[in-house]
Amino acid sequence: METLLKTTNLCKSFDELEVLRDINLAIAPGERVALLGPSGAGKTTLLKILAGLETPTSGTVENHAQRNAFVFQEPRLIPWRSVKNNLLFVNPAGDYKEALRSVEMADFADYPPADLSGGMRQRVNLARALITQPDLLILDEAFHSLDLGIKMRLMESLNQHWQENPFGLLCVTHDPKEALYLADRIVLLSARPASILAEIEGRPDQQWEITSPDFLTRESELIQLLSGKTQLD
Amino acid sequence: MKNFWRILAGIAILILLWQLAALGLNRSILIPAPSETLLILFHNFTTPDMLLAAGQTLWKVLLALALAILLGLPLGLLLGLSDAAYNLLRPLVMVVQAVPVISWLSLVIFTWGIGWRGPVFISFLSLFPVAVLTTVAGVHDLDKDLLEMAKLYQVPWKKVVREIHLGSLLPFIAAILDVSIGQAWKVTLVSEYLCGGDGLGEAILTARMNVDIPSVWALTLGAVLLGLLSEALIKFVLRRFRHAWKHS
Repeated sequence: METLLKTTNLCKSFDELEVLRDINLAIAPGERVALLGPSGAGKTTLLKILAGLETPTSGTVENHAQRNAFVFQEPRLIPWRSVKNNLLFVNPAGDYKEALRSVEMADFADYPPADLSGGMRQRVNLARALITQPDLLILDEAFHSLDLGIKMRLMESLNQHWQENPFGLLCVTHDPKEALYLADRIVLLSARPASILAEIEGRPDQQWEITSPDFLTRESELIQLLSGKTQLD
Repeated sequence: MKNFWRILAGIAILILLWQLAALGLNRSILIPAPSETLLILFHNFTTPDMLLAAGQTLWKVLLALALAILLGLPLGLLLGLSDAAYNLLRPLVMVVQAVPVISWLSLVIFTWGIGWRGPVFISFLSLFPVAVLTTVAGVHDLDKDLLEMAKLYQVPWKKVVREIHLGSLLPFIAAILDVSIGQAWKVTLVSEYLCGGDGLGEAILTARMNVDIPSVWALTLGAVLLGLLSEALIKFVLRRFRHAWKHS
């Protein structure tokens, strides 16, 4: 199988603190994977290693993506640049209007980040990732500061983007709903040191409504699995 | 507009207090009356000699300021980016900052004698540590998360320097100029008084030697006004520059 991203026996420790243990993960081009695990398990560390921002203690990472995009937990917008210029900073040739429209921020192109709410800034953060038309999009708890309504609409919008032009997606979350809605495959992580506990099927190919009985059944199964196998906080 | 009238009222109160003190003491050798001082000021600054002296002081101030920025900024960047360089050179910068102006004097006089170099050098030395240390603070203030973001999105380094480094440093550079311009005037005047061959500082020295105290006051007032004017001018230019950069 062609892989976009692959890790082999990845381990990471900070001094005495072991954070990741033997992570073997592979993502094919256009595949959507969710990493689901408790807070503080080391998920962000794993993402940073995958993105090349941290080096592993042992093990290897192969990242074949030409264009990586990363939606950080915090927005990381340039404070002295407008929303529009924050987007153009990463891709000067990109269609910022379209990117902002897909996160429902089209009217705020000329605003400085300081004039936006936390949730709005997070949407700009997502738009900045989309404007690069990535092969691999990494989401680090990207929706966690958003209210449920906008969160659902953004996940739908992301899904649409993917339908039009499938990209590899790796989303880290502690929300089973998010994992089930966004990913084809869900990887369950243990508490620290994070290791892979199990891999389960995510969304089916057909229409997948978040309020459908099927979805709710899968969600409750997932919650039971999580509460039995890992300690959620 | 309200602020303008308040400032005007503040100046009026200052002049009133000055007038009262002059009247109470009634000795113009200590405190000349404002009317007398302003008259001399007006008289002085309409003569070619005084205008020349003001010009001579002004170019020394600007030269010292330019040197401090041009040399202080790169050194500040180096010290900000490299911990090794910071630890190595910080004692030097601190010593330069701590040595009083007067102590440079003998060195300067023996090296260059009386002339323009002394005041420029001494002014420069008083501004240089501020420029270096403020730039270091600016570099340390850089948001590492933004740099990480830029790295991840593979933004070209030139653009990162222009957008993130410069954007982050601009307020600090503005602060250097803001603090330095007033300091530059004061130190240049003192050094002209002590070892300069010309300029307003030297004019104050001459007036003092002639026991012409009203002239000393008038020249001081003139220097203060010029200092405030140049400060306002620099602030105006900086505001325009920041505005232009923000919309570039």
